[in-house]
Amino acid sequence: MGTSERDLEAHVPEGNTTDRTTAGVPTEPSGTPPDRPSGPPGTTSPGSTAADTGPRDSTTAGTGTPASTTAGAEAARSTTAGTGVPGSTVPGRSAPPRAPGSGAAPPRTLAEALRTRDDDSLAALLRARPDLLSPVPGDLGLLATRAGTRASVVRALERLDRFTLQAAEALAVAPDPATYDALRALMTGDEGDPETEAALPHAVHVLREQALLWGADDRLRLVRTARELLAPSTAHPSPTGLGPTVAEATAGMSPTRLQAILAAAGLPTTHDPVSAVHGLTSLFTDRSRMDALLNTAPTDALAVLDRLVWGPPYGEVSSDPAPPVRWLRDRGLLLPTSARTVVLPREVALHLRAGRAHRTPEPHPPRLGTASAHSPKMVDLTAAGQAFTALSTVEDLLKDWDRGGPAVLRSGGLSVRDLKRTASAMDLPEPTAAFWLELAYAAGLVASDGESDERYAPTPAYDDWLDLPPQERWSRLAATWLRGTRTAGLVGVQDAKGRALSALGPDLDRSAAPEVRRRVLALLATLPEGTAPDPGTVLARLHWERPQRGTTGDLRTRLALWTLDEAELLGVTGRGALSAHGRALADLDRTPDTGPGTDHAPTQAEAAACALRAATLLAPLIPEPLDHVLLQADLTAVAPGPLQRPLAETLSVLADVESKGGATVYRFTPGSVRRALDSGQAASDLHAFLATHSRTPVPQPLTYLIDDVARRHGHLRVGSASSYVRCDDDAVLGEILADKRSAGFGLRRLAPTVLAARAEPAALVDGLRTMGFAPAAESAAGDVLITRADARRTPARTAPAPVPEGPPVPDETLLGAALHAIRAGDMAANAVRKPAADDPTAAASAGSLPRTSSAETLATVQAAAMTGSALWIGYVNADGAASQRVIAPVRVEGGFVTAYDHTADQVKTYPLHRITGVAELADDPA
Amino acid sequence: MNGPLIVQSDKTLLLEVDHDQAGACRRAIAPFAELERAPEHIHTYRLTPLGLWNARAAGHDAEQVVNALVEFSRYPVPHALLVDVAETMARYGRLTLSKHPVHGLVLTSTDRPVLEEILRSKKVQPLVGVRIDPDTVAVHPSERGQIKQTLLKLGWPAEDLAGYVDGEAHPIELAEDGWALRPYQKQAVEGFWHGGSGVVVLPCGAGKTLVGAGAMAEAKATTLILVTNTVSARQWKHELVKRTSLTEDEIGEYSGTKKEIRPVTIATYQVLTTRRKGVYPHLELFDSRDWGLVIYDEVHLLPAPVFKFTADLQARRRLGLTATLVREDGRESDVFSLIGPKRFDAPWKEIEAQGYIAPADCVEVRVNLTDSERLAYATAEAEEKYRFCATTATKRKVTEALVAKHKGEQTLVIGQYIDQLDELGEHLNAPVIKGETPNSQREKLFDAFRTGELNVLVVSKVANFSIDLPEATVAIQVSGTFGSRQEEAQRLGRVLRPKADGHEARFYSVVARDTIDQDFAAHRQRFLAEQGYAYRIVDADDLLAGDGQQPA
Repeated sequence: MGTSERDLEAHVPEGNTTDRTTAGVPTEPSGTPPDRPSGPPGTTSPGSTAADTGPRDSTTAGTGTPASTTAGAEAARSTTAGTGVPGSTVPGRSAPPRAPGSGAAPPRTLAEALRTRDDDSLAALLRARPDLLSPVPGDLGLLATRAGTRASVVRALERLDRFTLQAAEALAVAPDPATYDALRALMTGDEGDPETEAALPHAVHVLREQALLWGADDRLRLVRTARELLAPSTAHPSPTGLGPTVAEATAGMSPTRLQAILAAAGLPTTHDPVSAVHGLTSLFTDRSRMDALLNTAPTDALAVLDRLVWGPPYGEVSSDPAPPVRWLRDRGLLLPTSARTVVLPREVALHLRAGRAHRTPEPHPPRLGTASAHSPKMVDLTAAGQAFTALSTVEDLLKDWDRGGPAVLRSGGLSVRDLKRTASAMDLPEPTAAFWLELAYAAGLVASDGESDERYAPTPAYDDWLDLPPQERWSRLAATWLRGTRTAGLVGVQDAKGRALSALGPDLDRSAAPEVRRRVLALLATLPEGTAPDPGTVLARLHWERPQRGTTGDLRTRLALWTLDEAELLGVTGRGALSAHGRALADLDRTPDTGPGTDHAPTQAEAAACALRAATLLAPLIPEPLDHVLLQADLTAVAPGPLQRPLAETLSVLADVESKGGATVYRFTPGSVRRALDSGQAASDLHAFLATHSRTPVPQPLTYLIDDVARRHGHLRVGSASSYVRCDDDAVLGEILADKRSAGFGLRRLAPTVLAARAEPAALVDGLRTMGFAPAAESAAGDVLITRADARRTPARTAPAPVPEGPPVPDETLLGAALHAIRAGDMAANAVRKPAADDPTAAASAGSLPRTSSAETLATVQAAAMTGSALWIGYVNADGAASQRVIAPVRVEGGFVTAYDHTADQVKTYPLHRITGVAELADDPA
Repeated sequence: MNGPLIVQSDKTLLLEVDHDQAGACRRAIAPFAELERAPEHIHTYRLTPLGLWNARAAGHDAEQVVNALVEFSRYPVPHALLVDVAETMARYGRLTLSKHPVHGLVLTSTDRPVLEEILRSKKVQPLVGVRIDPDTVAVHPSERGQIKQTLLKLGWPAEDLAGYVDGEAHPIELAEDGWALRPYQKQAVEGFWHGGSGVVVLPCGAGKTLVGAGAMAEAKATTLILVTNTVSARQWKHELVKRTSLTEDEIGEYSGTKKEIRPVTIATYQVLTTRRKGVYPHLELFDSRDWGLVIYDEVHLLPAPVFKFTADLQARRRLGLTATLVREDGRESDVFSLIGPKRFDAPWKEIEAQGYIAPADCVEVRVNLTDSERLAYATAEAEEKYRFCATTATKRKVTEALVAKHKGEQTLVIGQYIDQLDELGEHLNAPVIKGETPNSQREKLFDAFRTGELNVLVVSKVANFSIDLPEATVAIQVSGTFGSRQEEAQRLGRVLRPKADGHEARFYSVVARDTIDQDFAAHRQRFLAEQGYAYRIVDADDLLAGDGQQPA
């Protein structure tokens, strides 16, 4: 094996060199467009678009790089396969291996096939599959290996358009190797389909060019990994809806069962399973014999077949299937895959489909439908108007954040509330506001300030940007949008962890975004100028171009829709149609549509050139800034177009903006005029300003408004002073002011008799004394403070209370009350009670609540009430707290006892049911 | 791209008046855009859903609207706005109310999802009956008004094609002897009659009564006229007798004092909305005759209960008359759904230009309060402040000076506070008309004023509406209902009736400087300025000093 490999290298040494050269400096930016007529392999169209020569952007190549370990492992496995031994399962090994290197010999491996390709053809391969280049493979063998790795093949398949993919899928269900005719038959069916037939050579060419297919037309071979990916299996139903072949489906079936099937199908029986399968297969692939067989089928059975024919080919059956299913199963038209499932063998399905692998081959990309058509001039103007709006929107947005924007979330980005607030301040829907924010962010006009409490703020670049002429400001934004990967449409969408993505936050980059944006614009550019497409057809077209991608999460579809919306917002399109400056921006004005395969990222210089061209085209369409407004008696000013910046700034201070758009309506209110006065302008300045910039006479009510506000503006003055000097004789104050020594006090005359000073009162008093005056200090209330110079006092304080050794000697009242309380408590606790005769526990329970039966309680209380003696009771109050009391009952009625309570020293009423028990006191309490 | 129109993204349209295409543009956009402000240089129109639906009801389609905008616009029209216009307009007419020969009133949709959507609404469910077919659902005939109101709120206004009952026929002709309907009045009547029901917007003094009379002459059926108050009712009666073939006996007045029901009955809002024990005892008026036409005077003042009654009157032709569709309570949508879309509209200035209403010179007289008055004002309770500054003695002096200046001209002094008016009446030696003045007395005074026996009349806000004082050339407003723009329009209307000698009308507002009176005045005058009446400001001191001298 190794020898042969080396031999090969020896035979075609230049192939290797070429490979390296090509890898280093690609000479053509793009793959062959699908709609260009295909040539035979190896005669790829010459590098006509060599203008774009330049080092390949490394990121493009990097995105698809298969993980190196996988690549290595795969390489180890498939190098063997690649160097000459086709997989043993692959049938059709009939052709004897020929001596390698003999020029006429068909290639036996992908590597050999690659070796036969010329430089242009290899370059096309590498251009279409840039992931093969990183790192640059050592030789063609390695290149072939890498081209066969799963990651690389998946990536290549994802980039195929629908028809090419359909061709690949058809090949995957065809025998390996297949002839071109077999492939054509699968694509066009028995009836034939000229369109499909015409498109097929190109599809085969693309597959071959991308090294997904190799071999001559009589031995077409799909790269094994691709075949595995596309061939139907139980886990991965094929998009063709075809099941396994008879051979695959009958593998492991008992010979007896096979015999039975053969017999039922009317075939001669044979004991050899291989020939049995062969017989069955040839029956199923023979159209006329199959027709004859199916003619005998019951109608129900045909209905069953009808259900399965376009897939999925698997059906569930019960253990005792219905007669039609049994009929089919007996003849092998349905083959069991497990106890409960049957499958329609591929051959049968193909027969029923009249040989077609796909229900609808789609050889042509869907046409873009036209939604509306406008004159190109109108489109350009509308787009320019929108472009201008875009600029003012971004400016307004950042002006709002001029004095410190909203805080940065800890996880990065803008909080939902701040986004809402910004959106409502700008009077925009939230997604639109998010778009503008993201755009400004991506263009580097706004960023986090990096302080400890992070906030968003405009960057210095923003100030530079503001100084640019409008067309360049626009092209900066639009170019950022076109090539950026930030995707504003995702804002608010939940990520895999269920967190909503925040504007300006992380995880908003989508690498597919620039490609989709460019592709959408390119599609728009294919329409006649001024024509707006029907978005549905744009999506259909994109889906056709990348059918596999479209199915994954539908991100491309969403990206495309966002692109259409955003292009309109930005003024790249106008009324849905691509504008001239939009065309220039995407470099679509000079380069024709290069097809979907071009992941071509223009260089910095190219992008700048495009942006410049776009700006030049846009410039004449942007309205000239005006230097005048129209003033009206309803206290509004209308600027009938964009204003020169200084004028706009002054006016926006002097008046409130009421309506924005092509024109601006300002309204003068007392508040806005006051704002202007606060900003340091005098009424006369304002009059002069209005007179200069108004094209109409200044209306009288406006003059009055300004004068009215100015008259009251500053009517009340507020300042700060540390102390003041007042004197009824203003001559004295004049003298103080005139004295040079008073300069340090910061004196100012507020009124004839009042001076305000910055100095502290004490310093002022001292200073005035040294100047020979006799000032008196004043209190806050205006009283004269009589102070000795050296006396320093605290504010009013209470003297500390003395701390005696023990408690103070109690007075009589206190003593009496205390004694009384002590005694009463004592009586309650230690009252000597007459023990109840029948209660032996009573004596023992001194200190605890007395317990007597309620009848006894009542009797005792009534007796005490009559005799006027005191009782000791246990009582539970409403809160459930138990206590002991000594009471002298006065009256007992209605379940209540009214008594003098010795403990509380007052007359109280107790409900009888709350009294737990009573005991008579042994002797009368004192 | 040098048109007179600037389309703003907030859906306002700015029209440059001095542009040579301004007239054409105004005609093109008037059907669908509401004129919001009409100051001297730039008029502001607004696109609203109601306005667009009004246009749809009048037979304009979205394409016309878009074309008008695009054709006259100076700058590119924002695409989003055009899309919005088309979408909004497409909402009208997807649902139609019509008469079905078998099922009676039915709601039909050309767009099944819309029908499904609205039928799922809880508010619609009680109003509709059985589903007749996938696109049609029966509507209870009594809920014709309700369902229109509800659908409008849901954003799917229904077109009412169910037609009208003819009502009881009654011969009415215009008696055009020596006078004729003005062209715009004719257009208004035609516009209304072809539309079936709807609102005619004409400025005060432009002869709305005659539009009503014209409509009655078209209908030739018994008519119910709803007016704001008794004086207005008498005026209507007077005018109808004079201008039509109707006689006194054919016209009944249904008010607090009289309850006559005749082929033509004029009722006041007040009596209709009188409530006793929770019921409206005079509601039966609506059913007392088979009315062929219902006329609502001053639609913008229509009280809420009348809307409710109107909802039940959808089978009768309804004509609304008003000077402005702006309602201070924001119930414009009810006017649209219950009375009908706007059928005719002519701006104030245009009619003035045609000479049908007098031009007016609006002057704000700023009065300086005396020091003691200022002190008193400064310390007054918040709720008393307006009353205080509106009724200061200084104002009285200025008013007297103004009256003296216009001696011999028919002068109205209008105010809010009765004691102020009484005092003024005393000083000016003029009679005062206020709420308590009996109607007979009022009419006597009005007559005297009309004939010129009286030169000066002091009126309270009772005269705000619908009194016709043809020869008033000077109006002096001393105080008002705070900042009501409504009232300002009405008061200005007092002096806008064309004068025999073509003399310019004068409208004075006496305002106390540096008080909330001035703020309210600013609010009212903004309305005037927006109507195109630029006003001047004059200092009371100048006025008093330059006695008798005409202000420049």
